[in-house]
Amino acid sequence: MSPDLLIGLIITLVGASTPILLAALGELVAEKSGVLNLGVEGMMLVGAVICFAVTYNTGNPWLGIVAAALASTAVAMIFAVLTLGLSANQVATGLALTIFGTGFSALFGRAYTGKPLALFKSIFPDWLATHPVLKVLFGYSPLVYFSFAMVALVWWFLAKTRGGLILRAVGESDISAHSMGYSVIGVRYGAVAFGGAMAGIAGSCFPLMLTPQWVEGLTAGRGWIALALVVFGAWRPIRLLGGAYLFGLVMTIELYAKAGGGVAHVLPSQFWAALPYLATILVLVLISLRQSSNTSAPACLGKPFLPTN
Amino acid sequence: MQFRLEKRQEPSRFMLYATPVAAVVLTMVLGAIIFSLIGFDGLGAVREIFLTPLINPLKWQDLAVKASPLIIIAVGLSIGYRANVWNIGAEGQYIVGGLAGTGVALATWEMTGWWLLPLMIIAGIAGGMAYAAVPALLRVKFKVNEILTTLMLTYVSVQLLNYLVLGPWINPTGYGQAQTRLFNADQTLPYIIPGTIVQLGTPIALLVALVAWVLMSKSMFGFQIRVVGLAPHAARYGGFSEGKTIWLALLVGGGLAGLAGVLEVAGPFGRMVPSFPTNYGFTAIIVAFLGRLNPLGIVVAGIVLAITFVGGQVAQTTIGLPFPAVGLFQAMMLFLLLAGDILVRYRLRRVVPLAVAEDVA
Repeated sequence: MSPDLLIGLIITLVGASTPILLAALGELVAEKSGVLNLGVEGMMLVGAVICFAVTYNTGNPWLGIVAAALASTAVAMIFAVLTLGLSANQVATGLALTIFGTGFSALFGRAYTGKPLALFKSIFPDWLATHPVLKVLFGYSPLVYFSFAMVALVWWFLAKTRGGLILRAVGESDISAHSMGYSVIGVRYGAVAFGGAMAGIAGSCFPLMLTPQWVEGLTAGRGWIALALVVFGAWRPIRLLGGAYLFGLVMTIELYAKAGGGVAHVLPSQFWAALPYLATILVLVLISLRQSSNTSAPACLGKPFLPTN
Repeated sequence: MQFRLEKRQEPSRFMLYATPVAAVVLTMVLGAIIFSLIGFDGLGAVREIFLTPLINPLKWQDLAVKASPLIIIAVGLSIGYRANVWNIGAEGQYIVGGLAGTGVALATWEMTGWWLLPLMIIAGIAGGMAYAAVPALLRVKFKVNEILTTLMLTYVSVQLLNYLVLGPWINPTGYGQAQTRLFNADQTLPYIIPGTIVQLGTPIALLVALVAWVLMSKSMFGFQIRVVGLAPHAARYGGFSEGKTIWLALLVGGGLAGLAGVLEVAGPFGRMVPSFPTNYGFTAIIVAFLGRLNPLGIVVAGIVLAITFVGGQVAQTTIGLPFPAVGLFQAMMLFLLLAGDILVRYRLRRVVPLAVAEDVA
């Protein structure tokens, strides 16, 4: 493999991994607090279309990202009010959120179908960002560096801070957290909001980094892969990072196979397109085989909490 | 004035059936307001989406065609959901059921006989069951969450469909267009009402709902499914195996989704095409919930969702409302239904100041 090809491969890999990493980090925090939000795909789609619209109309991708985060947080709040305020079924509500996001993005994306968007390029000076070798470090969109920073931040918050301890307590034993005086519902609202914001930013990766043109349903199930990734990462931010890049690698292979390189042509392109999903299933099986106490889900995951009754 | 939620002694039967109706009505009211606010003709949208298909008798046949697969799939899903088995990949099982039926149709393309259609239907059911058997096996043997596996397999099935219609199954006389041959007359569902587009799929859907209703409410099987869902521990104590129930729930869900798939491909489609996945499998999830996981309720809910689809097409041509708006209406309906659920288990009580004082003390 030539160095140029390798560098190209790494850049594609980083691009494929970043959105699922961001979305999965948000979901990880929500799940750590005991909330299973299956609406990640829907929230990502809302973020993607809002980011596209705002960036297209203002020319400022930063505004697009902020708007996407806010919009996805707003739709995450629909989920939060239903599941936390009214203790509705989390599985059904999450699905409804995805149906909502799919419809929302398709409806509001129509005006932008086929319109081009400038890619959100590196903020480093050109001689670094386009350097044939150094671009492997400096050639990325700020969203990529942000995703790494967030891995560290989420790890630090969960492992080292008091807030993180409370959040984990709420997810592991809501009743004891409540009796110690913490607001279980309040913490969960916060965690769901964070999950929404991260899914929105993950969604904005698509128009800003990957497909700078509006296509309906452009997240193509990546939100669901992000959900699987949380299980894969055993609810730990650092493992999540590894998992995201492993999944990214599978998706990169798919892209290269489609572009038609050597060995890839032995199998039909549809096989490579199905590979990330097959790999997800395989990985879920492998995890369950080495299930131990420190790789299992938060004890209260998906269970409603009603303090007054 | 303050309100407080108070747990009911037992779930309210009135609220159980009143809340879905209220959800549909509220969706119409809120939908009209929201769509007006975002710059569409809100009242027109609600009129065309919810009322026109119902008022115009010419649209009733479309309702029957759209509602049938939704009802068949939702009945299967409801059985699983009652047992807390979350099959959300009915779309994939529907596709594989359609593909299995197509496989039989293509293999017997030069044959005639009454037995072709039953054979295709059996293949479709078997295909859907086999595809749902994978998540069942993984859940029972390896405790892998079926929500993710059923959904991942849906994406895989779409690729399988594309591969087959572009490759081995492509119509040899179709100038390279990605579709199979047209099925022959004995491989296509008969029309049951002359002069309409209503095919055999519709009576089959009603029959499926009826059989499921009898099974769920009158048989040991139904009792077992409900016990496992409501109280897994009690179920184990009573000797019901959780694994067996998971198998049953997924096989029934997959089999019925496969049946819907083969009825679609042998019915309205008449051949396998890349546009075969029509999201029936996902919409059926809304149908199952709106119908309160009750087969008879699902028939009504299936018709309601069919109305929104048919109405969505009407609204597209008459008032230029983009079709994805239908998805927003459907999601809103589900949100409102889930929000209303709390009224089934809780009662809203006005809190008089005295009671507040007591609470504080």
